[in-house]
Amino acid sequence: MIDRQAQIPRLTIWWLLGALTLVVAPHILRLPIWISALIVACVVWRILIFNGRMGFPNKFLKILIVFLALPLTVVEYRGTGAGLDAAVSLLILGTIFKLLEMRERREMLIVVSLCYVLTMVGFIYSQTIIAALHALVTFVVITGALVTLQRDNSRSSLNNNGKLALLLVAQAIPLAIVLFVLVPRVAPLWTMPVPVSSNKTGVTDEMSPGNISRLSRSAELAFRVSFENDAPSQDQLYWRGLVLDFFDGRTWRRAGSSFQTYEMIERFQNQLQGVGQGQAVGYDVILEPTQQSWIYALQLADFDTADILQDRYYTLHTDKPVTQRFRYQMRSFLNNTTDTTLASVMRARALQLPEEEGNPSSHQLAERLRAESTSDLDYANSVMRYFREQPFFYTLTPPQLSEASIDDFLFNSRQGFCEHYASSFVYLMRAAGVPARVVVGYQGGEINPFEGYTMVYQYNAHAWAEIWLEGQGWVRMDPTAAVAPERISLGVQAVLGDQPGFLEDSRFSMMRFRNTEWLNTLRLRLDAMDYAWNRWVVSYDEDLQLQLLEAIFGDKAKQALLLALGVSFSLFFAIAAFFLLGGRKRDRRDQATRVYLRLVADLAEIGLKRRLGEGPLDFAARVGQLRPDIAVDMTRITELYVRMSYAADMQEESFGQLREFALALRLRLSSPWRRLVLRSIPALRG
Amino acid sequence: MKPIDAVKPWFSSRVTRWLDRRLPAINQISLHRKNIFILPTGPGLLFLVATTLIFVTAINYVLSLAFGLAFLMVSLFILSILHTFRNLQHLSLRGVGAAPVFVGEDAAFVVLLARQANCVHEMLELRFPPNAWSQADVLDNEQERVKVFLPSTRRGLLQAPRLTVQTRFPLGLFRAWSNVDLAMSCLVYPRPLAGPLPGLVGGSTSGKSESVRSGVEDFHGLRAYQAGDSLKQIAWKNLARGQGLKVKQFVDSVDDQMMLDWEMFPGMDHEERLSRLCYWVLTLAQQDIDYGLRLPGLVLSLGRGDAHRTKLLSALALWQGAAN
Repeated sequence: MIDRQAQIPRLTIWWLLGALTLVVAPHILRLPIWISALIVACVVWRILIFNGRMGFPNKFLKILIVFLALPLTVVEYRGTGAGLDAAVSLLILGTIFKLLEMRERREMLIVVSLCYVLTMVGFIYSQTIIAALHALVTFVVITGALVTLQRDNSRSSLNNNGKLALLLVAQAIPLAIVLFVLVPRVAPLWTMPVPVSSNKTGVTDEMSPGNISRLSRSAELAFRVSFENDAPSQDQLYWRGLVLDFFDGRTWRRAGSSFQTYEMIERFQNQLQGVGQGQAVGYDVILEPTQQSWIYALQLADFDTADILQDRYYTLHTDKPVTQRFRYQMRSFLNNTTDTTLASVMRARALQLPEEEGNPSSHQLAERLRAESTSDLDYANSVMRYFREQPFFYTLTPPQLSEASIDDFLFNSRQGFCEHYASSFVYLMRAAGVPARVVVGYQGGEINPFEGYTMVYQYNAHAWAEIWLEGQGWVRMDPTAAVAPERISLGVQAVLGDQPGFLEDSRFSMMRFRNTEWLNTLRLRLDAMDYAWNRWVVSYDEDLQLQLLEAIFGDKAKQALLLALGVSFSLFFAIAAFFLLGGRKRDRRDQATRVYLRLVADLAEIGLKRRLGEGPLDFAARVGQLRPDIAVDMTRITELYVRMSYAADMQEESFGQLREFALALRLRLSSPWRRLVLRSIPALRG
Repeated sequence: MKPIDAVKPWFSSRVTRWLDRRLPAINQISLHRKNIFILPTGPGLLFLVATTLIFVTAINYVLSLAFGLAFLMVSLFILSILHTFRNLQHLSLRGVGAAPVFVGEDAAFVVLLARQANCVHEMLELRFPPNAWSQADVLDNEQERVKVFLPSTRRGLLQAPRLTVQTRFPLGLFRAWSNVDLAMSCLVYPRPLAGPLPGLVGGSTSGKSESVRSGVEDFHGLRAYQAGDSLKQIAWKNLARGQGLKVKQFVDSVDDQMMLDWEMFPGMDHEERLSRLCYWVLTLAQQDIDYGLRLPGLVLSLGRGDAHRTKLLSALALWQGAAN
């Protein structure tokens, strides 16, 4: 006799190949080309082995492949800092090699386990709805492979095994949801390498002419915000990112950037002297991955989490780059005063100008306007007036500026995007001795009418200025508002929508069709769906868990968590056990009665009520008179039932007939909806 | 000797006693909550290891969907307890028994597996540990017969040990099993051993009317004593006359009939005699003659036909040497 446990059912190979293809597919474009080629080669080879056209790789070849692939992978990823990517590649290669050489049941089980793990690996790179659906399909296929490994009989067919796997997974989902919601989430146990992407997106920590306007070509999402109450008006939505206070004549940078470590920021935390007045605006942000380590908020931000730090510029930082969607909750005091006394180092930074004098006309203008003004604020306003009254243009495609960029812009080209205005405004301020700095971030946002949250896109990128005034601290000044007030009040798309270059990089974005109504609705709907997914599933964490439980259990939420988990788990198990294992087995007579009574109940619903004490035969006769169309069926069913319950006909065949006829009649009498329910829930059939 | 080895016999005897109490020998048994055992398999543990790995990664990378995946796997694992259990629940087993075999052959015990309506049982495995598994499904038919093999080593009545019935269906993560004693037995005939009838004097066995075979009916003559000859047959008179130790030989006159006798194989041990007798029963059964068998304490008269053959073979299988 052959040991069945060692053999592999042939069907399993196909299932495993399918599972592996699904599991590797999302990685194939990300992996180095030679690894992808190797994967395809191994899969093809395995198919050829299956068809008997090729043999298994011999020992020498196996060793050769492993000893070549391992160092090659290490070399491939060396110096990229992508430890995780390398590990993932090795895991995929290992699985593929195992697939190629597997002969025994035990080896297949290892491949199956690796497939499950690889499904999880996909989530490190993407947690979208699509990724989740893909993983679910993959999960069913892997489970199907497990089924084929166990099922080695006449029933083992693609169709049957697929159905069984689907059924098993479908039954597992409710419990999985319970566990997902209620199992306490733990903080990371140790730090892990993160997937590194060189594609930094969004606002950068440098600003030179053309920097921000480039972002207006992109319709990609930057972040989404949902406000606790109504969203503030558009002209208050200044999402601060970074403060740039070092100017080299062309580019603005962070003065402190070279030595501003996370620890340094931490040290200055308690020296911050921002004061908020009035009501704070509470909101919840989901930031798209930026690969940068700063995040965006309205001035003046206040928050509870220890994951975020605020530096001396009141900008917010995370301890590592944002590589995945990052969710944070903020409260902002839109009325605030910051730094009523200015530290000398900060003052020096806020007055810094390039050492070689490159913009003489600007200095003359600054001196003239300052002399005409009564105060620093008055001076700032007169500069704003200057921008408004002189023929300045707000455009995405300004001409190139010469070396003396400020002079060239202020007196010559006079066409520019926000970075030109912010840059020259701060320059003029500093030239007159008023502490000033550039702030980059986003301005405005589009409200999703379906879910009420605000979407901020890359084209909302903006640069503005802050000046320091005696007694008031830092005050926001937006020179772009002076040039193009509707940019701030109506949003960037209202002003630039028709300009060439706007959204140029997002040629296929649905954003371009925002004027076609149904497409725009579709876009907003899809975004709302994605947002809900991110808010409730992807960023489901300890806080959200607690919020949810507080909504149900009040202040006892924390204690209730484990209890709720235990109760719902047991309840689920009990229900599943009841449906799968059934209670006590009824004997045939009970079952026949049940089938009959179900039919009687259905008849009652269409007005054919059985009278009290009316025997089955009398009832059948009466039904036959009232509804001649079902008389024959009714008689047949009643005869069978009577025979089974009184003549003790326990034949399996009679019962089968009774059941079949009764179901057929009930289906005939039901409404289409009920018919569907009857068809899909076997328990209701009797 | 490892300490575990000292405990093993004690432990296994405890288990056996416990099983005997919990699952007494019975010809027909239906499997239910109280006699089905279930535990994770090796692959089940591997599945848990993968789940743990995914869970830890989910924690460390704060991957919500990986949490979801881990929970889905836990959920599948738990559900698979129910599914595997269900695959064995309500299965009834009836021991039908086994056709007699000769020593050295595998006894094929037939077990009747029956299902209840609405229950199906896939990929059932049955065996007498530690022998090979037999596989069966009870799907479309109400009942199925499955043969479970057990090697026979000794002549006599082979009592079937506890039968293990198990399943890992549908996912192989759990193994549900029961050890049932269906009170089955199998008759094991002696191993047939070919050889001449050494006690035969003159003539050939194939001869009909004239041929004679050693027996006890008629005196045929004397021959020298051989070790193992019965004392009853020693010719005492001849010995007294100083003619040496002789043995009286008797033969049965054969007229389409043949009486096989224990004494036909002098000098052999019991089992060998039985084996040779067995061979001759089988040989004679194929010929058109009546035959009988005489064993110490047991005489089976002449006859023919399958039933007669079975009677003789059974006698050979069950002979305990009671007479001597």
